[in-house]
Amino acid sequence: MKECIAMLLAGGQGSRLYALTQRLAKPAVPFGGKYRIIDFPLSNCVNSGIDTVGILTQYQPLVLNEYIGNGQPWDLDRLYGGVHVLPPYQTATGSDWYKGTANAIYQNINFIDRYEPKYVVILSGDHIYKMDYSKMLDFHKEKGADCTIAVMEVPWEEASRFGIMTADAEGTITKFEEKPKEPKSNLASMGIYVFSWDKLRKFLIEDEANPASDNDFGKNIIPNMLASKEKMVAYPFEGYWKDVGTIDSLWEANMDLLNPKMPLDVWSEEWKIYSRNSGMPGQWVGASAEIDNSMVTEGCKVEGKLVQSVLFAGVKVGEGAVVEDSIIMPGSVIEPGAKVRYSIVAENVTVKAGAVVGERPEDMDNLENWGVAVVGEGVTIGQNAKVGPKAMVVKDVKDGEEQW
Amino acid sequence: MVKSNTDALGIIFPNAHDNLIPEMVTHRTMASIPFGGRYRMIDFVLSSFANAGISNISIIVKQNYHSLMDHLGSGREWDLTRKRGGLNLVPPYAEANVKMYRGRVEALASIVGFLESQKEEYVVMSDANIAYNFDVNKLIEAHVTTGADVTVMYERREIPLGMKDDNYTLRIQDGRVTELLSNDYRPGVQNLSMNVYIIQRETLITMVKDATIRGLVYFEKDILARNLELLNVQGYEYTGYTARIADCRTYFEENMRLLDPANLDALFPADLPVYTKVHDNAPTRYAMDSHVKNSVVADGCIIEGEVENCVLFRGVKVKKGAKVKNCVLMQNTVVEPGAQVEYVVTDKNVKITTDKSLSGSDTFPVYVAKNSTV
Repeated sequence: MKECIAMLLAGGQGSRLYALTQRLAKPAVPFGGKYRIIDFPLSNCVNSGIDTVGILTQYQPLVLNEYIGNGQPWDLDRLYGGVHVLPPYQTATGSDWYKGTANAIYQNINFIDRYEPKYVVILSGDHIYKMDYSKMLDFHKEKGADCTIAVMEVPWEEASRFGIMTADAEGTITKFEEKPKEPKSNLASMGIYVFSWDKLRKFLIEDEANPASDNDFGKNIIPNMLASKEKMVAYPFEGYWKDVGTIDSLWEANMDLLNPKMPLDVWSEEWKIYSRNSGMPGQWVGASAEIDNSMVTEGCKVEGKLVQSVLFAGVKVGEGAVVEDSIIMPGSVIEPGAKVRYSIVAENVTVKAGAVVGERPEDMDNLENWGVAVVGEGVTIGQNAKVGPKAMVVKDVKDGEEQW
Repeated sequence: MVKSNTDALGIIFPNAHDNLIPEMVTHRTMASIPFGGRYRMIDFVLSSFANAGISNISIIVKQNYHSLMDHLGSGREWDLTRKRGGLNLVPPYAEANVKMYRGRVEALASIVGFLESQKEEYVVMSDANIAYNFDVNKLIEAHVTTGADVTVMYERREIPLGMKDDNYTLRIQDGRVTELLSNDYRPGVQNLSMNVYIIQRETLITMVKDATIRGLVYFEKDILARNLELLNVQGYEYTGYTARIADCRTYFEENMRLLDPANLDALFPADLPVYTKVHDNAPTRYAMDSHVKNSVVADGCIIEGEVENCVLFRGVKVKKGAKVKNCVLMQNTVVEPGAQVEYVVTDKNVKITTDKSLSGSDTFPVYVAKNSTV
C-alpha cells in the first residue's frame, strides 16, 4: 500500500511547439542544457518522497519511453512502485485512445487501485518548476479537502489564459472558470492537483458515464466536484513556474536559467533535478572561444562566441561562429562563421559555415515581425543559407537559399 | 577463432602503483584518483572492459578502498549490475594466518576458488594507473590467433621518471617476449609494459597454485620472467592514446594534455564512451564577464572569473575577479574573489580564500590536499 502516488499526464502532442514535437512528445522536449521537460515533475516527485509514478503517454512515445527506461536516473527503479509508462491499451470490450486528461486516468483506475493509495497527485508533463508536493499533501490533509489545486497569482492581463479560481479567506474554492474572458480573480490553476482517491475515483466513473463530457480535468472533473459541494481548496504556490507549451515560453524559460534574479535554480544541492546522463566527457573551450552569460554542458566543443545561450550535450560551435540568445539542443553543430540568433535549434541539426539563422529584434515596439526561429530535428542549413526570424524549418535548406 | 566476446572475465588491481603518488592516495587508491574533469582512473579500464562485453569483473582491493567502493557502488554506471558475473569487489580476507598480499600472485591466490568456479575461457588483468580506451576484443583476438600462453600489452615510449623503480620492459622477437626486465636503467624508447595481461583461466589457476606452493609472490618477476622459454609469452603493442600517472608531475601533465582536442577525442571517441559515477550536476554556468580559454570543464561549475589552460572538475567555483591559469582543480574547489592561482593541483573540496595568491611552476605544480583551505 502507498499513501500517495502520482500520475503524470504526458500524452499531449504539444502542437504549439511545431517543429520541436514532430517526433517526440512535449514532455520529452530538451530543456535547460541537460534536461528534458519531464525531469522537473519526476524529480519533484522523488524529492517529495513520492516513489510511485504512472506516466500516461499517447503521442509519439518512443523517445519518452526510451528516456524513462526503468526510471533509475530518478531513483524510481523500485521493487514495489517506481515509474511505469502507461499507454492506452486494449481490453476485452475494446480499446480507446485517451480521450481527455480525465479519461486517461479513468483508463488506469486499475493501476492506481493496485497501490491502494489514499491520495493521488495529478501532474502535467509540460511545466518547469520546483515544488515539494509533500507540503501540498500536508495542506490537503490539514484542510480535510477532497481536492487541492495548486494556484499562483498571475498578472491580471494574462489571467484569461488560465483556469482561474476564486477562493475565500480559508482557501476554499468558491468558483472555477476555465479561461474566463473577464476574470474575477488572478489565482491561476497550475495544473497540479491532489485528490483523495476515493472521491476522484467516483467522479471519474461518473464523468465517463456522461457521453457529453470532454473527459477533462479542468472542463469537467473540477466543475463537477465544485457543483457537488466537495471540499476544494487552493494551495498557494510561490516560486518559479512556467508552462512551456509554446515556442516563446520555452525560449523564455531557458533564458530564465541564465537570469540570476529568476528563482529557478538548478544548481542547488537540496532539490536536484535528475536526468539521464549523456556519458560524454567534459566540455572543451578553445583558445578562440568567448562565452558570456551562458550554460554549457558535457561533450560540447566551443571555439566561437556564445552570448546568453544554452548549449546541450555534444554541441559544437566552430571558430568565428556566433550563437546569441539561442538554445542549441543535443548533438547540433554550428560550423565556423555561422550565426545563430534568437533561435531554438533542435537535436542533431547542422548549421553550415556562413549560414545565418534568426535575427534579434531590431524594433522592440513591433515585436510581431520578430520572433524565435526554430530549426527542427536533423535539419541541415546549407552554406551561406539564411533562415529569417520566426521561421519554422522542418526540411533542409540548401546552400545559399533563404527561408522566412 | 575468437569465442564470443563475453568469454573473458576481468580482474583489476586498483592499488597497484599507489606508491607513485603518495600525496593523492592517503585516502584513496590509484584507481580512484580523479582524472580528466569528471572521471576516476578506474573508469577507463572498467569502461574498456564493459564496452568489450566483459561483464564479469573482479576488483582485488588492498587498502584505502572506501573511496573506490563509494565510486563504484553496485557497478550500475558501467552496466555491471548482473545476476551472472557483474562487478565483484574483493577486499582482503582477514584471517589470522593470512597476510596482506604483496604481489599479484598472492592477490590472485586469494580468489583461486572463485576463478575455478567461473565459466569464462580467458582472464584479462589490468592495473588502473593508465587511462586508456581500447577495444579489449582486439587483445583477445591477438592472443587467440598467436596461440600464446600469456599475452602482455605494451606501448613504445620512454620510462617515465617517476616509474623508474616500478616498471617492466620487454624484449620482443617476432612478437614473442624473450626478456622481461624490471626497472631497466637504460634510457630511450622501450617496450614498456602496460601491465595488461590476457591468459587462459585454467592456465592462470595452475600458475597461481604452482607459484603459491613455492612461496612466489610476483607474477612478472617470479612466473613470467623466469619461464620465458617454457611459456609462450607474446607482446601486443598498444598504439592508442594513453595517460599514465607516474607521479604528481605526470598527473598534472596528463590532465593538461587533454586540453588538446585531438587528445580529448582520442581518449573519448564517440563510439567508446567512458562511464563514471553520475552526480546529476546542472550544466556549467558562465557568468557575465567570465573569461574562459583553452580549458576542459565538467558540469556543475560556476565560473565568474578568469580561467585559462585548466582542467576543472565537477562543481568548481571560480568567483569574480579570481584568476586561474594552468591548474587542475578537482571537485568542488572554490577559488574566492580576487584569488590568483597558477600551476596548482587542488584536491577535492579545497578553498582558495579571497585575494590569496598561489603558484607553482610547470615542472613543479603545487599540490593542495583534500579539504584544505588556503
